[in-house]
This record gives sequence, structure tokens and C-alpha cells, in this order.
Amino acid sequence: MQFFFEVLLGGLLAGIMYSLVALGFVLIYKASGVFNFAQGAMVFFAAITFVSLLEGGVNIFLAMLITLVAMVLIGIATERVVLRPLINQPQITLFMATIGLTFFLEGFAQLLFGSQPHGLELCDQIEEPRNCIRDEPMTWFADLTGGINVSQFDVFAAFVAAALVTALALFFQKTRIGRALRAVADDHQAALAVGIPLQHIWAIVWGVAGFVALIAGMMWGARNGVQYALTFLALKALPVLLIGGFESVPGAILGGLVIGATEKLAEVYLGPYFAGGGIENWFPYVFALVFLLFRPQGLFGEKIIERV
Amino acid sequence: MHGERAMGERSFGERLKFHETIETMEVDFSGMTFETDADVDPVYDEIDRRAGATGRRWYFLVNYTDCVITPGAWDRFAARGKHANVAYGLGTVRVGASAQTREAIREDAGRAMFRANIFETRDQALFALGEMRKRRALAGEEAIDAYLRVEDVHLSFGGVNALTGVGFHVNRGEVSSIIGPNGAGKSSMLNVISGCYRASRGKIVFEGKDRTHLRADEVARLGFARTFQNIALFKGMSTLDNIMTGRSYMMKGNFLTDALYLGPARKEEIRHRERVEQVIDFLEIQAIRKTPVGRLPYGLQKRVELARALAMEPKVLLLDEPMAGMNREEKEDMARFVLSVNDELGTTIILIEHDMGVVMDISTHVIVLDHGEKIAEGTADEIRADPLVIRAYLGEA
Amino acid sequence: MLYREAGQFRSSYAEDQQIFPIRQDRIAVAALLVFAFVGVPLLANQYWLSALLIPFLILSLAALGLNILTGYAGQLSLGTAAFMAVGAFMTYNFELRIPGMPILVSFALAGVCAAAVGIVFGLPSLRIKGFYLAVATLACQFFVLWALTRFGWFSNYSSSGVITAQKIVIAGYAFESTRSKYLLTLAIVAVMALAAKNLMRTGTGRAFMAVRDMDVAAEVIGIPIMKTKLLAFAISSFYCGVAGALYAYCYLGTVEPEAFNLDLSFRILFMIILGGVGSILGSFLGAAFITLLPIFLNISSKAIEGALGIEVSHALVSNLELMIFGALIVFFLIVEPHGLARLWQIGKEKLRLWPFPH
Repeated sequence: MQFFFEVLLGGLLAGIMYSLVALGFVLIYKASGVFNFAQGAMVFFAAITFVSLLEGGVNIFLAMLITLVAMVLIGIATERVVLRPLINQPQITLFMATIGLTFFLEGFAQLLFGSQPHGLELCDQIEEPRNCIRDEPMTWFADLTGGINVSQFDVFAAFVAAALVTALALFFQKTRIGRALRAVADDHQAALAVGIPLQHIWAIVWGVAGFVALIAGMMWGARNGVQYALTFLALKALPVLLIGGFESVPGAILGGLVIGATEKLAEVYLGPYFAGGGIENWFPYVFALVFLLFRPQGLFGEKIIERV
Repeated sequence: MHGERAMGERSFGERLKFHETIETMEVDFSGMTFETDADVDPVYDEIDRRAGATGRRWYFLVNYTDCVITPGAWDRFAARGKHANVAYGLGTVRVGASAQTREAIREDAGRAMFRANIFETRDQALFALGEMRKRRALAGEEAIDAYLRVEDVHLSFGGVNALTGVGFHVNRGEVSSIIGPNGAGKSSMLNVISGCYRASRGKIVFEGKDRTHLRADEVARLGFARTFQNIALFKGMSTLDNIMTGRSYMMKGNFLTDALYLGPARKEEIRHRERVEQVIDFLEIQAIRKTPVGRLPYGLQKRVELARALAMEPKVLLLDEPMAGMNREEKEDMARFVLSVNDELGTTIILIEHDMGVVMDISTHVIVLDHGEKIAEGTADEIRADPLVIRAYLGEA
Repeated sequence: MLYREAGQFRSSYAEDQQIFPIRQDRIAVAALLVFAFVGVPLLANQYWLSALLIPFLILSLAALGLNILTGYAGQLSLGTAAFMAVGAFMTYNFELRIPGMPILVSFALAGVCAAAVGIVFGLPSLRIKGFYLAVATLACQFFVLWALTRFGWFSNYSSSGVITAQKIVIAGYAFESTRSKYLLTLAIVAVMALAAKNLMRTGTGRAFMAVRDMDVAAEVIGIPIMKTKLLAFAISSFYCGVAGALYAYCYLGTVEPEAFNLDLSFRILFMIILGGVGSILGSFLGAAFITLLPIFLNISSKAIEGALGIEVSHALVSNLELMIFGALIVFFLIVEPHGLARLWQIGKEKLRLWPFPH
């Protein structure tokens, strides 16, 4: 039983990590209706920029700032060069353009920073003594619950994600800019008609998405190391989006939790029956697929009625 | 004054003859001259009175030998004649028109809402009439009472009730119009009939059998074709290909014969191509055969969509606002095509239309919807005078 | 002056519906085929055949398959490589377990197996569309690769995980040389390309395009949506399956899951985007482009190395390749969404006027 909870908690927390990536997707889709396949590449780019700066001796907060600026610049460049010319094309075209963008960013990142993997540690400074958040079990929790091991790092990630989501939710609901973003997501023409400056809005959206990518990049980089494989995070976020819906911030979180939990549980409990395991590669997709068959709009999406 | 001169020695009444066995009213305009509206009206008044008195529908056989209709009188002539045709019969057959009137008729047939068949001799005309009558009689024999019956249909989207208890029937060979203010549920009704939407309650009965639960493609294969309000053409294909898709359900090959092409697939393609070319000729769209439909102007796109529906050789044709967005000439063209289809092919037509003039002119049967309910049903004249209908359109007085 | 249709009148529907209605086109294609079958084997060297032409042909076939599904039927698929893998592995197993099985029959049956897998993973297309469907095909990609790796039966419980493809023997003649493999591949691809063109210009193709353009309207015309979509998946997967078999047997020489990874699926998707979505010719142009681009970059980098005397690292070149691919995709989508095939058409239009300016 205890083992079950351990796996479950581990899965839930891993799911939070997926949610971090999915959040970036949701932001961009909400504001511009574009499914940004390149989100994973952006996470990778953010992570590798950050870690290279750190290794170059830059202070952690400064590194974050510089990376954030870089991500915002990339976002704005993307909007201007890739998205604006394709503004009236069908969604599929935009999607394929972001696939192209993914490859471009991957090549670019490796061109600038090299392709060897980097380790990333979330510590407050390079030299000792320093405080770090490590992927180690929290002993006090294990003592409290009679032996359930939960990673310190995973919990930290969960807090970060919670903080991020809260901040975003407040941003969208309470601020004027947030309202404008929602208007733009709904209907570009109408938003223009009421005087909302689309270009500024999109710049802001991509900036925020860049920030989310940075956070996700830092978390993932610390967990798995900063390497090329990070770009395929985008793929793992897809089942999350299918379940949570493409336009919902809480959906991204819930979707992440569901995918993370089911993935881990399936691997542990169903895996042995399936030729020795390794099913976590495909299980989330098949799960999301089956889910879609019953509820095509996901948990939080809007039911699509086709009017003839 | 002029009218008396026009009629010559005998009174106009003697120029009208009814032939019961062939259900034809023969009108002799030979030697008559129509120069002004005043020449036209008394003549048509007499025709209307005599035919109306019989209470029946008649085919028309008109003798135009040496008949002179000046341009000044033509509009009135065509207007009265068109009204008469729709009310009393379908199809006009003319005999031996003089050179002047023949050209005038040909030229203006596009403006007039009836087809002009001009024959050299009375016998030829009678023969053609006979053929048309035979076709219609055949259709009449096969017709089951109330060809298409809609019973108590309910339809809702989420919380919105699009249709509430709508029921009516359409007879074979009729031109029925569904009218009503915006949001009345007209398109929804068409969608339910064609199988695009599933009614939550009610029945659709066609040719005596319950067809309520069929999918759209199954309904299509029963003999229903339709056009859409917002033009549902396949933008990635040419005009010819679009119309060829209308033949899809009739094609007998499968993907294996298609892949081979030589042999059965090729023969099929050519056979169906011939039929499609006939439709293209009928709707006069030869010039745009190979053009991708996305590039066509709106009016032509509508015509191509109609062509595709016709290529299906349907028994029932459902038209959703076929004349929306058209100018006067385009509307007259379209109305002419619609009537020709009904006339020549015997296709039953159900159309949604906002232009009252068109509706009144070409429909034999009108159904009025408002807020998802049927508020009136009858002939065009009955509907025009119905106070409920007037109120629905104009609001409370 | 050369490329004129003047005097060529089509007097029957049969003539109008030919694949190449213009005489000059027919001559050009005939010449091309003669060159491909006769000239190339005589002139080309080993490198050209094995590293360029054979993969070009095989990937064209796969691109053709993907184009049938995504370009003509409008169902976005990211799982192309998985279907190729099924083709490769099932050919291996048919050859292995049924003694005396003719290899062409193995290819065909393997294609049928791929078609079956395609139908299964195409079922979701009946409920979901667009990039939701793309995710379903991703599920296929990952699942199939996992299954082929995990279930030892597919690789005959080979311990190393790498199986050698059997020799190709048709009617007693062993296709061992690169030249013979090239000719075999060329023959198969040519026949299947013709079949694809025939399919797309008849009722089957029109039904696909109708479903792609507006499936509600297609249904109302009497086209059965479910059958059409599943048929698209089946035919497309068949083509990819055969392509996969050829990929293993005529190109790689081995049958391994890693060769059919997600990267390959993306490459083939790029081929049809660049070449022209919904175009048979486009599949070939796109495959040629993507096969040649790395070679071109290599040559350029060597030239730059030589000219400027600096060292251009391999990593630099491969990163540049990624960047150029990505940039080209975006560029083509913006400038000419119908790809190289459309540019080719425009070129032909201009050719009709040549050498006159207008």
C-alpha cells in the first residue's frame, strides 16, 4: 500500500513537471490560436542558455534574467517572422510551421552552446557552502508517513508550478492585459475592433510563454540534465493537453497530474504484463487517445458543435 | 379600344379551347397584336377566369403565328403569362411563332420565368406535350400519397430548441418553399431531412418508409441532394471534379479497379463524365470546367453547387437559399434553372428562400416557420394573405 | 516555342482524362523513364546509386504514402515511420517462416499488414480531427516501435537486436548488386506511383479530397466518411509498408526498429510539405530535395573549408542542416504553401511562353 502511494505521489509530482511544459502551450494557444509545437525546443533553448551562463560563472539570478530576455526576443521574433505572415492560414499550416521552428531552434541552440549534455543544479551559488535542492527523499516526510519516500526536488517543483499557475490565473482574470489576452484569443477581429493592440498583446504572450519555458527548462534541466532529448518534452506534453484541453490553465495542471500518475502506475503495475515494461513511452498517448474517444474536447475544453 | 381591334371579329373567348383528354388548354394568339398593357390584360383576365373556373391545372398550347408583341407590351405579357403558368400548369409549349415574336421570346426567355419551347408545327408541339404528360403520369402512378412526410419533428442544441413539433408533407413533383424570419429553424429543418442533424423526436417518412435514423450519406443514396447556405464546395478541386463527386455514390468500382484505371474504372469515368457534361451544359458553365472553384465568383459557385446536386440525379432537391446574395438577373437565371429541373426532370424541390417574389412565383406549396414552429402551410396565395404570416414577418401591428 | 499545346486537341473524354494530356509532357516522361531504367545504371557509380538514388526512390514512395493520407485525404499523420517498420519486419518474418515465399509476395503481404495496423490506428480519425489526430498517430509511432522491440518474435529472438535482411531472389536471379537493387526499387516505385496517380484521379481520390475539404458536404453527397477515411489509412500504410520493406532490404541491409524512429516520420512529413501537399509529383520533388540537401551542405562546407582554409566541424554542418530545414519549412509555408510542385507548375507556365517574354 505504501509502495502504491509512493508511486502515485511520484507520478503526480512528475505530472506537475509535464504541466509546466503544457502551460506554455496553453498560453500561446489561448492568445493566438496557434499550437506551438516548438514549445519543447523553447524549453530546451532556455535551459541550455541558462546552464551555459551558469557555467560561465554568471550569478543565478542574472542568468535567469538574461535567459528571460533571450526567450522574449525569440518569442517576438517568432511572432513576427513565422506567425504574422501566416496569419490567415489554417491551423494545420501554423502547426507545421512550428514544427519547422522546432528544428531551427534545436540546431541554433546546439550551434551556440554545443551539443554535449550539461548537468544543472539548483543552488544559490556556485561555491560552497551552498544550499541546493536535490532529488533526494525528504526524510521528515518519510518519518511522518511511515516510510513513503517523496523527492525533495519534486515537491519544490510542485510549489513552483502552483505559484506559477496562481500567478497566471490572477494575471488572466484580474488584470486589464489579461482580459485583453482573452479577448484576442477569442476573436482577433473583434479584439481589433475594440482597439486592442494585437502586436503588443502577442509580444506579451510570447514573453510570458518564454518565462514559463525558462522555469520549465530549469526544472527539467535540473531533473534530467540539459540535453537534446529535452525537445521531445513537447511530445510528452501533448497527452496532457489532450486531456486537459488546449485552452485551460487548470486543465494543463489537472491533465499533467492525470498523465503523470497513470504513466507511473501503468509502468509499475501493468508493465510487467506487457513484455517486461517500457510502456511509459506510449502509454500516455494511448491513454489520452482513449480518453478523447469518449470526450473529444478533453476535460475542460468546449464542446464543438459544427454548424452547417 | 386597342383590345377590341386586337381581338378581331371573334371574341377572345373563342380563342380558348380545353382538351380534356390531354389536359391541355389551347390558346390561339394568331394574328393578334399586343402593343400596350391594355392589350394584354383583358386577354389574360379571360384566360385566368376560364381556367380558374375549372379548378384544375392545365398544360398550355399557344399558337403565336403572326402574333405581334411589341417590346412595350412584352413585360406585361411575360408577367401575366408567367403567373398563369405557375398557377395553372407547368411548362409552356408554343406553336409556330412569327419571326419577330420568336426572337423576342428566345431573347427574353431568360427574363421570363418559364421555358420557351418553340415548334414548327402543332403536331410536334402536341407530341412534346404528350411526352411530358407521360413522364408526369408515370411519376404520378408511382407516387405514394404524400411523397415526403415530416411528422412532429423536434430538434434542440444544448438548451436551444431549434424545431418544435414541425410537420408537413410534400407531394411528388412539387416545388415547396420553406419561409420564415431569421432563426425560424428553416436550415435546421433541411438539415434534419437530409440527415445532417438527428431529430430528438419525430419522424421523416419518404416513399412510405421511415427514414428518420439514417446517416447523411444514406439519405443521399435514397435520392436526396442538397445545396448549402454558405456554399459547401470542395475548394481544393476544379468545377468538373466537384460535380463528378456528385456521381460518387453511383460509381460501382472500388479502389483496386481505380488503381488499375484501364478497363472498368476508365469506362466508368467516361460514362459519368458524359452525364456530368450534360449537367454542365444545362447550367451553362462550360467555360469554367477546369477552374478551381475557390477562384470563382459567388454566383458561379452557387451554380456549381447546384450542378453537383443535380449530378446526383436526385428525386428530391433541397435548396438552402439558392438565391442569396444574387442580383436580379442572377436570381432570374437561377429560378429558371430550378423550374427547368422541376419541369424537365420531374424532381421534387424543397427550397428555403427569403425573396418573397421568387417564392410566390415558383412555388406550388409554401410552409411557414417561426421560432421553430410551423405557423402556416398552403399555396402561395393563401400564405400571402395569412395574418399569422404577416405578423411573423412584420411584428405586431 | 517548344512547349506549346497548339494543335493538340482532345476530342474525347478519354483523351481529356489522360495523366499527361500534353504531348511534350508525354515525351519528356517517356524519356525520363528510359533514362532512369537504362541510362542511370550504365552511367551512375556505386555511391550515387546506393547513397542517393535508392534512398531517394524509397523515401519518395513513403512520401507518396503520407501524401495520400495527409495531402489528399487531409488526415495529419506523424507515424509514417511506424508503418514502414511494420512493412520491414513483416517481410522479414514472412521470408523467414514461410519457406520458398517469393519476396515480392512478402513485400505485398507486409504492406497488407501495415495497412491493417493503419486501419486500427486510423479508427480514432472517425471521432477526432486535425492535430488531435496527429497525436493519435504519435501513439501509433511509439507503440509500434515498442512492440517491435519488446516482442522477440518479430526479430526472431535475436540477441543483438540487429537482424540482417535476407537476400532478394526473384525467379532464380539474386538481386545482390547495387545496380540490381536500384532497378528493382525503381520498378516497384514506378508501378506504385502510377497506381497512386490512377487512384487519385478517379472516384477514390475524389472521395479522399472531398473528405479533406469538407466532410459534411461529402457525406451529404453520399460518400461514406468512415469507409473513406479508413481506406485512406489503409492505402497510405500499404505504401509506407512497402517502402519500409524496401528501406530495409534494398538500402540498409538490416531490419532494426531504430531506423524507423520519430525523426524519420518528421523527415517524410517535411518532404511532403516542401514538395507539395496533395501532389504525386510533389512527393518526388520533396524527397529529392531532402535527400540532396545534406549532400549539398557537405559539399559546400568542404568547398568553404578549402577556399577559406578554416575547419568546418561536422557538428556545425549537422546543426546548420537542422536550422536550414526548419527555416525552409517556414519559408515554404509562407511563400509557397503548395510547395515545389506548384513552383514546377509555374515554371511550366513560363515555359509555354519561352523564349518570348509575354
